Amino acid sequence: MIEFIVLMGIVVCFSGILALGLNFQWGLGGMVNFGLAGFYALGAYSCALLMLKGGFNTFFGALGAMVIVGAVCGLVAFVTLRVTEEDYFAIVTLGVGEMLRLIALNEDWLTKGALGLTGIPRPLSAIVPPTYYPYFLLALSIALVVACIWVLNRLARAPFGRVVRAVREDDVVAATLGKNVLWARVRIFAIGGALIGLAGSLHAFYYQYIDPTQFSTIVVAYAFMAVIAGGRGSNLGTIAGAAVVMLLLEGSRFVKELVNLEADQLAAIRIIIIGVGLILLLIYRPNGFLREYRLQAPLKEARTTPQSTKEVTT
Amino acid sequence: MSEIFRVEGLHAGYGAGDILKGVDISVTAGSVVTIIGPNGSGKSTLVKTLAGLLRARQGDIRLKGASIRDFPPPKRVHAGISYVPQEYNVFRNLTVLENLKIAREFMSGGRAKGKVVSDELVELFPELPSRFNAFAGNLSGGQRQMLAFACALTVKPDLLMMDEPSAGLSPKYMTDIFDCIRKVNGTGVSVLMVEQNAIEALRISDQCVVMATGRVRLCSDAATVLGMSDLQTLYLGDAAASRESWAQASAA
Amino acid sequence: MLQTAFNGLVTGIIIALPALAVTLLFGVLKFANFAIGAMMTVAAYMVYALNTELGWPMLPATVAAAVVFGVLCILMDLVTFRPLRDRGGLTLMVASLGLGFVLENLARLAYGNSARSFAMELARPFRYMDIRMNREQMIAFVVATLAMGIMYILLTRMPIGRAMRAVADNPSLAQVRGIDSAAIIRWTWFIAGMLLAVGGVLIGMDRAIEPPMGSSYLIPVFSAAILGGLGSPLGAFVGALLIGIVSEMATLVIPPNYRIGIPLCVIAAILIFRPQGLFGQAHIRR
Repeated sequence: MIEFIVLMGIVVCFSGILALGLNFQWGLGGMVNFGLAGFYALGAYSCALLMLKGGFNTFFGALGAMVIVGAVCGLVAFVTLRVTEEDYFAIVTLGVGEMLRLIALNEDWLTKGALGLTGIPRPLSAIVPPTYYPYFLLALSIALVVACIWVLNRLARAPFGRVVRAVREDDVVAATLGKNVLWARVRIFAIGGALIGLAGSLHAFYYQYIDPTQFSTIVVAYAFMAVIAGGRGSNLGTIAGAAVVMLLLEGSRFVKELVNLEADQLAAIRIIIIGVGLILLLIYRPNGFLREYRLQAPLKEARTTPQSTKEVTT
Repeated sequence: MSEIFRVEGLHAGYGAGDILKGVDISVTAGSVVTIIGPNGSGKSTLVKTLAGLLRARQGDIRLKGASIRDFPPPKRVHAGISYVPQEYNVFRNLTVLENLKIAREFMSGGRAKGKVVSDELVELFPELPSRFNAFAGNLSGGQRQMLAFACALTVKPDLLMMDEPSAGLSPKYMTDIFDCIRKVNGTGVSVLMVEQNAIEALRISDQCVVMATGRVRLCSDAATVLGMSDLQTLYLGDAAASRESWAQASAA
Repeated sequence: MLQTAFNGLVTGIIIALPALAVTLLFGVLKFANFAIGAMMTVAAYMVYALNTELGWPMLPATVAAAVVFGVLCILMDLVTFRPLRDRGGLTLMVASLGLGFVLENLARLAYGNSARSFAMELARPFRYMDIRMNREQMIAFVVATLAMGIMYILLTRMPIGRAMRAVADNPSLAQVRGIDSAAIIRWTWFIAGMLLAVGGVLIGMDRAIEPPMGSSYLIPVFSAAILGGLGSPLGAFVGALLIGIVSEMATLVIPPNYRIGIPLCVIAAILIFRPQGLFGQAHIRR
C-alpha cells in the first residue's frame, strides 16, 4: 500500500511538472498549448535517446531534454509571433504536437517506432539500493517540483512576467507595447517547454520504457484539468489540481472492480470523466479551487464593455 | 398632445455602481427631443438601455403606455422603436442592399410587404440606390451614417432613437443628417437623440434634456435652452453662474 | 499526377463541409471549435448504427442522423458553451477540447477501437480520362458539391443566411435590427451539425470508421478554414479544395505518413504572410 502511494506520488510529481509547464504557458502567457502530448513525448524521447544513444548520464539527459523542448517551443512561438490570435496558436501547437508524435511513430531508425525504447536508466540507480529507490525517486521528484515552483514564482515576479500578465488580459496593450512583449511570450513558451521536457525526462526515468502510445490525449486532458482545477495561474494550485485529477483517475480503477469492463472501455471512461470534469470546472469553478495569489481585483468585474457582463441581453 | 414614450426613474450600469441614477424623460408624440450633456453624463448608457442592449436595474420604460422594460432588443424593435447606434452601425461585410434587406425583413417581424426600398426611403436617401452592391464597410463615414439611418427607417417606427448622429461627420453630411431627421419627423416619427453638437441638434428639436452624472438636470423646450447664454456653464455645472439661467428655464 | 490531383480534389471537397462548419461557428460564435473532429466521428457512428444495425440504406440513414445530430449540437451548445459565452475565445476553445474528448470516447465506449465500415455494396472503380475513380469518391463529390451549393444559396439569398452573416459581423447591431441572436445561434449549430454529420459520413466512406477518424482531420480542416479566412464561407470552400489538392500532391514527394505536415506549413505560412487568409477581413479585436 505504501509502495503504491509512493509510486502514485512520483507520477503526480512529473504530471504536476507537466501541468506547471502548461500553466506557465497558458496561465501566465495566455498561450494555449494543445500539442502538449507531442512536446511531452519530445522531452521523454530526447532524454532517453541522449542517454541510450548519446551515452549521457541521467542529469545531462534531462537537461538536454529541457533544452531541446524549450528550444522547439521557443521556435514555435517565434514563428507565430506575428499573430496574437489564440485560436491560431492553438491549432499550430496541435499540429506541431501531432507532427512530433508522428516522428516518434515513424522514424524507426531513431525511435524504434511503435516498439519504443527500453532500458532507460534511472538517476543515481547505481548508488541507491533498490529497496529504497522508490522513496529516493519520490524525494527527488518532490524536490524538483519545489524547485520548479520556486523558479516559476521568481520569473512571474520578474519584470517581463508582470508585463505579460498585464498583456494577457488586454491584447490591445500588447500591440502598443510592441516587440518586448512578443519576445517575452517566446521566452515564456520556451520556459514552459523546458518544464515539459523535464516532465518527459522524469516520465522516462519512472517507466524506463517509452512508446508513442503513452503520449496520447489523456495526457493533455489530465494536464488541462489539473491547471483548471488548481486555478489557472496558480502554481501551487496546479500541483494540487494534479493530485486531485490523479485521485479521480485512480478512483476509476475501483469502477473496474464493480463493473466488468474491458481495458479500452475503462480508458475511455476515464477520459470521459476528465472531459466532463474539465467542462464543469470551467463553468462553475473558473478560478479553480485555489485563488490566484495576485492582489489585483478579479478580472471579470473590471470590464466596462457590455459584452462581458450578464446584464447585457445577448 | 399624447405622450408616446416615457422613461421613469431609470437606473442602469455596467459593474458595481449605477451609471444612470434615476432618469426621467417624456417624449410627446411627433416631437424631437435632444439629450445633451458632458462626457460621462451617461447619455450613451441611457440610449443603450433604452435600446435594450443593457438591462435596466430599476425604473420603467414605456412605449405608447405599455412597458417595454423587459423586452429584448428585437422585441422593442417590433414594438416600434428604431435605434441607430453611434458607431459600428452597419454590417460592414454585407452590401448596402443586404443591410437594407435585413433591416426590412427582421425589423418588421415579418410584416414587410412590397419593395425592399420604398419610394419614401429613396426620397430621403437619394444616394442609396446607386450603391446597392457596395460593401457597407467600403462606404465613407458619412455614407455609412446615412445607410444606418436608412436601415432604421425601412419600417416606419413610432420612435427613432439616435446616438450622436452627427459624430465624426463632415459639415455637409452633418447638415444632411439633421435635414433628414427633420423630414423624417415631418412624417410623424418621434425622435429621441443624444447629441454632442448641441446647437445644431437643438435647432431642429422641440425639447431639450440636459443630463449630467447620470441624472436629468434640466428639461425644457429647445428654443429656451438655445437662448441660454451659459450653455457652457451648464455643462460644467457651475451652479452659481448658471443659477439665473436655471431659474429662467424652470419658470418657462 | 492527374490521379493525385483528382484524389486531392475529392479530399478537398470532403474537407469543405467541416471547414464551412468551422468557419460558420467561428463567425457567429467567435471561437475555434476543436470538438468538430469528434462531432464528425459521433455522427458517422450514428449513421453506422442506423445503417448496419437497423438496416437503413445510406441515404435515409444520413439524412436522419444529420437532422438528429443538428439538434444534438444545439443541446451541446446549451449545456457546454452557452454558460461560457461571455468568457472569451480561449475558454471556449478549451471547453471544446474537453467536449471533443468526451464525444470521441463515448464512441470508443460504445463501439471499441476496431475499424468499421458502412454496409454498402462493393462497386468496381471506373476509369474516366485516365483517372481511376471509385463510387465512394463520386458520391462524395456529388454530395459535397450539392451541400456547398445549398449553403451558398442559404447564405447569400435567404434571410436566415443573411441573418447569420449579420450576427457574425456585429451581434449587438443584429439584435437592434430585430434579429433574435439566440435563435440564429441555434440555427448555426443546427446547420453546422448537419454539415459535420454529412462530412463524417463521407470520411467514413473514404476511410474506416473508428474513434480517432474525425480528430485526424482537425488540422486539415482548420488549415482550410484559416487559409480561406476564418469567418468567410467562400474562403472555407476554396481553402478546403486547395488544402486537399496540395496535400495529395505533396505525397508525391514526402512520405504519406507526414501528410499532415502540409496543412501545418500552410497555417504557418498564412500566419507569417497573411493572417486574415484569402478572403478574410483583417479585423481588430475589440
